[in-house]
Amino acid sequence: MKEVFINALGAFLPSNPVKNTDIENYIGKINNQRSRNKAIILKRNKIKNRYYALDKNGNPQYSSAEMAANAVKHALQKSEINMKDISYLAASSTLGDVLVPGHASNIHGALKLAPIEIANFQSVCASSIMALKSAWLQVGSSEHNCAAVTGSEFASRYFRPGFYEPYLTETKQQTLPFEADFLRFTLSDGAGAALLENKPNERQLSLKIKWIDIRSYADRFDACMSAGEANGKPWGNFNNPIEATQSGALFLKQDFKILNNMIKIWVAHYLDLIDQRKIEIDKIDHLCSHYSSHSLREEAITLLDKAGALIDEQKWFTNLYEKGNTGTASIFIMLEELFYSGKLERGQNILCHVPESGRCVNGLMMLEVI
Amino acid sequence: MKSEDVMRGLIKVWTDFETKLDQVPIIDKLNRGKFRLEDYKTLLINHRQQVIEGGRWIARAASSIDEHYAELRSQFLQHCITEHKDYKMLEKNYVSIGGKLEDIQNAPKNTGSEALNAFMFHKASQPNPFDMLGAMFIIEGLGQNKAGGWGRAIMEQLDLSQEQVSFYIYHAEHDDEHMEEFDEALNSGILEIENMGEQIIKTAKITARLYQLQLEEIDNV
Repeated sequence: MKEVFINALGAFLPSNPVKNTDIENYIGKINNQRSRNKAIILKRNKIKNRYYALDKNGNPQYSSAEMAANAVKHALQKSEINMKDISYLAASSTLGDVLVPGHASNIHGALKLAPIEIANFQSVCASSIMALKSAWLQVGSSEHNCAAVTGSEFASRYFRPGFYEPYLTETKQQTLPFEADFLRFTLSDGAGAALLENKPNERQLSLKIKWIDIRSYADRFDACMSAGEANGKPWGNFNNPIEATQSGALFLKQDFKILNNMIKIWVAHYLDLIDQRKIEIDKIDHLCSHYSSHSLREEAITLLDKAGALIDEQKWFTNLYEKGNTGTASIFIMLEELFYSGKLERGQNILCHVPESGRCVNGLMMLEVI
Repeated sequence: MKSEDVMRGLIKVWTDFETKLDQVPIIDKLNRGKFRLEDYKTLLINHRQQVIEGGRWIARAASSIDEHYAELRSQFLQHCITEHKDYKMLEKNYVSIGGKLEDIQNAPKNTGSEALNAFMFHKASQPNPFDMLGAMFIIEGLGQNKAGGWGRAIMEQLDLSQEQVSFYIYHAEHDDEHMEEFDEALNSGILEIENMGEQIIKTAKITARLYQLQLEEIDNV
């Protein structure tokens, strides 16, 4: 297989940063009441700013596909690549804009590229790594010379009151359960993109992909972060979409009990890669970890310390607190900032980590600065 | 192998074991909030037959340790003293929920407990069986990480008092020190013995598998 390089990265964050005090002006208030869970959730995840593709009245300003296309264009502006060089597009998202057709088709359409090969990756945060892995293999096997990979999310639209209120009315509740409210104050919108080539940049640094390792643990975990079902019934099995909404099948929820058990298994995957000598702790210069909130980070540190696998905290890089948790877009947005930060030097190694609580997936990727 | 390497191996074995445990029918039922009083009785009966042997195999292991490791032998013996009457707590819990003492005392081991027990005594009879630290890691790990949660869930689902689930709650509260002892034992020089690190991890793996089997084979006697 040929060597493959990430030669450019792009990010697109819609509109202006939204502060903690302003969140409900964008996503709205359930039953017109301020969330009682908000303070504790924000204290837990420590996010200070995020971006929404909604305006202050809750009206969508961009589609997820448009945001992804904008991120690709942003990456192209900074690259030594032309749009027409791209012959493969791998798109990732938790949920595209529409049920049919695929998200990758709509991004391709928004970019107005010539006919190219596309692939669509739908999972949660780790779909980013799945898309990157496919592009790495496509370019590495010489099927393509240049690939674009995107991650885009427009979660906030599903956090608006109309997605919850029919359920609350039906079940005679006033306020949202914590497991559902948590995600309203954790996730936000944005897109990121990476451009991959079979040769490094000539005028600037590149990131060589050394390996990508993805593992699913759905054999032992039920869904932890889920949407689209209620009481074990998929939304399409209800008599109609209205009934599905009233049953609570259409909003996102997180099971914290399952989440806590997942942290250890993610750590175990990482330890396994240390045992395989794929990861050598002293050779890592930067760790980009998409932990979805601050409290997860603390838990992981305790475990890692015991196994002598803790990467010095000064090497951890994140922009979660300033740019929000944008799901599958996060790792691209993080890498974009790190890549153009001036902090990277040739020969350094970057470990990227994207755990996914959906039904427990863990993705790790090692990059070398060239 | 360095102690960190062993810890990595053990954490990997533990997480695999811990997540598989949730799929065992009796634990799955508890996690689903559907536990019945008869399930708790069954759990206590089946558990007691293994716990009663715990002190015995630790004592056997201690007696297999030679004079070069006298400090560790003391530690094993101490450990044995703190654990060897734990089964009485299970009996008390059983009687407190309406079970007859003679029923829990006379119940046979299930097939999984037989396998686990046979393996423990076999290992404990080998000279300097420090690989049993791997077994202790798994069993103490259960006490520290799982027992408390199980105890609280049983208490809530069946509306019981803390005294009625004391075996599970007690272990969650008292197994912290055992983990520190474990760390000390691991760093006491035993890893200089050839392949000891690998053996500890393997013994942990077998213990985990057999422990899971014991829970899968509930009432299969």
